[in-house]
Amino acid sequence: MTGQPIPSLRSQLAVLAALLILLAASASLSRLPLGWWGLVIGTVIAIGQALLVLVIFMRLRHSHPVMRMIAVLSFAWPLLLVALTLGDYLTRYLLHAPW
Amino acid sequence: MNATTFPGHAEATDGGYLVEGGRTLWSWLTTHDHKRIAVLYTIAITLFFFLGGAAATLMRLTLVHPDGRLMSAENYNKTFTFHGVVMVWFFLIPSIPSTMGNFLVPLMIGARDVAFPRLNLFSWYLYMIGGLFTVAALLLGGVDTGWTFYTPFSTMFSNSNVILVVVGVFVTGFSTILTGMNLIVTTHMMRAPGMYWYRLPLFVWAMYATSVVMMLATPVLAMTLSLIGLERLAGVGIFDPALGGDPILFQHFFWFYSHPAVYIMILPAMGVVSELICNGVRGKIFGYKFMAWSLFAIAFIGFLVWGHHMFVAGQSMYASIVFSILSFAVAVPSAIKVFNWLATLHKGSIVFHAPMIYTLGFIGLFTLGGMTGLFLAAVALDVNLTDTYFVVAHFHYIMVGGSVMAYLGGIHYWWPKATGRLYSEGVAKIAAWMMFVGFNLTFFPQYVLGYEGMPRRYHQYLPRYQDLNILSSLGAAILAVSYLMPLFYLGYSLFRGKPAHANPWRATGLEWTTSSPPPEHNFHETPVVTTGPYEYRD
Amino acid sequence: MNATLPEAAVQQQFDDASQQKEAAMLGMWAFIATEVLFFGVLFAAYVVCRWRFPLAFVEGSAHTDFAMGTAETAILLTSGCLAAIALRQIQLDCARQSAILLMITSALGVAFLVLHGMEYHDEFEEGLIPGIRYTQTGPDARGVELFFSLYYVITGFHSLHVLIGVVLLLVMAIRTWRGTFSSAYYTPIEITGLYWSLVDIVWIFVYPAIYLVGSAG
Repeated sequence: MTGQPIPSLRSQLAVLAALLILLAASASLSRLPLGWWGLVIGTVIAIGQALLVLVIFMRLRHSHPVMRMIAVLSFAWPLLLVALTLGDYLTRYLLHAPW
Repeated sequence: MNATTFPGHAEATDGGYLVEGGRTLWSWLTTHDHKRIAVLYTIAITLFFFLGGAAATLMRLTLVHPDGRLMSAENYNKTFTFHGVVMVWFFLIPSIPSTMGNFLVPLMIGARDVAFPRLNLFSWYLYMIGGLFTVAALLLGGVDTGWTFYTPFSTMFSNSNVILVVVGVFVTGFSTILTGMNLIVTTHMMRAPGMYWYRLPLFVWAMYATSVVMMLATPVLAMTLSLIGLERLAGVGIFDPALGGDPILFQHFFWFYSHPAVYIMILPAMGVVSELICNGVRGKIFGYKFMAWSLFAIAFIGFLVWGHHMFVAGQSMYASIVFSILSFAVAVPSAIKVFNWLATLHKGSIVFHAPMIYTLGFIGLFTLGGMTGLFLAAVALDVNLTDTYFVVAHFHYIMVGGSVMAYLGGIHYWWPKATGRLYSEGVAKIAAWMMFVGFNLTFFPQYVLGYEGMPRRYHQYLPRYQDLNILSSLGAAILAVSYLMPLFYLGYSLFRGKPAHANPWRATGLEWTTSSPPPEHNFHETPVVTTGPYEYRD
Repeated sequence: MNATLPEAAVQQQFDDASQQKEAAMLGMWAFIATEVLFFGVLFAAYVVCRWRFPLAFVEGSAHTDFAMGTAETAILLTSGCLAAIALRQIQLDCARQSAILLMITSALGVAFLVLHGMEYHDEFEEGLIPGIRYTQTGPDARGVELFFSLYYVITGFHSLHVLIGVVLLLVMAIRTWRGTFSSAYYTPIEITGLYWSLVDIVWIFVYPAIYLVGSAG
């Protein structure tokens, strides 16, 4: 894209280091008996990693706003699906498992 | 502009794009010209329309008599499934976007072609391959699940060719996605100098909103259908109650696609009607920005209402209430559009040419369909009306009364542009009126039947429903004639019609500034836009 | 940088190279959106099923290979970074370096597939593949089967995407080596990189969803 700066090698490697550190954190924290907190931590770390990839490796930071909009939409829509579907399951009487 | 890649010859040859790219069949089948691809789509879609129509004819014939002796229950199930699958995925969804959208969006924004011409052609082949699978399934004995493929029937019990049809729809889904992608990128990147967003014709806005829905909804269908296939073939049990899977989850996923799919069908129709009505009253659209943004409001809210298909499916009461309220909300932008069309008519000198008759028909029938949609959005009433003919009448008013009317209106309106020939206006008006009358005669009795409790999807019914069913079948006969008529007079005009000059409707819009039919790369020189749309001056 | 692109490389429907490139990028992002939704459905199914059968999911996840999954994640993350650097190098006109980096990225993709194939093989031995060889018993066996149904659909579709990515990267590496691209024209590399990052992102969410449930119990 015109006028898009070329990222430095160091910034790319720093992001890789951050991603791997986050991976190590996610993996080791999951070994602790944290119950549902483990789910929260795992999800938050995954979102952080995904954002790093989106913003730096996929260069959304310097992209055209339309592309950023599409990126946001593409993640918002599955969330919409999950939220409204789960809304149904959370408020309904579920049959017991068939086994 | 690039002079080496765009030959700026002074006048078009007579046949325009129809002959410039070559006259052989091969030159058509390998074309990258968006206009030729639109023609290919139109031919294919017409074929599927009449296939689906034949199935509808069989159903209406069976329903003339209450004991349904013309068809067994099984064959009846297969017939309405075929009708639904073909009409939804092979006619309604690609109808306006792939034909008029393909043909007109580049012309309207002053571009030489769509952004990805090869993908455009590829999408047509995907569509045809999907269609082949579906027709093959029919020839091999049909499918009896209904177009909705509800689990667990489709995954565990149906012995028909579910996989074939699912693959067909899956493949066609990708053709939809490619078309949507193409139109989005084209609208963003290829507008002529001076063609700002608020100078775009509303048809382009409508196609853009539709394309967004196509992109965000269709992948969900593709994956959901894959899961059905995997469940049938490999025993993956996400919808299988025996494994703790949930059939209602299928309905959530399916309607997350299929409700927005209704907007894929109706938003382009709204775009067409906005163009036609301005020409019919020779004036500006009332409330241009409201018209543009209400399209997006409908597209967005349309994604939040899918649960209204599941009020009696076992969905939680609270979810039903939320979905019900959101469904009422989608009526607001729809009503804005209807009121604005009416306001556009106000004090206009209305010309009743055939496209305008279709347009006015659209507004009336869409309003009736939309209003009865409010009945169905109300949870308490819907519990009564679910799976009755009321629902059938409701969505046919939207899809046939709405989308098909607009489709035919658009075909007539842009016919001179696409073919360079004028059709015979007198016959066309008769056909348009017959369609309006035939349509109402077919489907209005179904509202009454449904309200009186006649269930849908049965080949037999109680004798007391017979009178209205006969009326409905009579109407269907008239409707069938009115659908066949354009084949003849439009077909005739191809060979004997008077040649059309560039702007036979004295319309505004860039597509009318180039010759009819347009040259291969649309414009002899890139147009520069200085005004908004609909600047009628007489 | 647009002026240096030979005119012949601009397709007739575009005015100039810059418009062509932006169109390609926007098209790719639109495609990525459809892919995210494609996988989004599976994650939605996962959320609902896990909410209904938390214990079965813990047990199912305990059957997966934690070390292998972590290694695969590290491989994909690294390969994503290499693809990004390959793009940087071609922008700096270091075509040879770029080609080599793309080659390594592709090889890491193959390594991922091999490791995953080994996992599938072990699971076959253990009898964990629903519909093909499933031999688990116990109170939660059906729920674990559901977990593995989701596991195979998600990782199966993901591996398919990795495979496509490997081929794309290989093609790009060869074309770059032959000097097709330069700082004036590198859109295909950029688009392939976007695709590879998408494959990365999907896996970033697969990893905790599949491998980290059991250990958190």
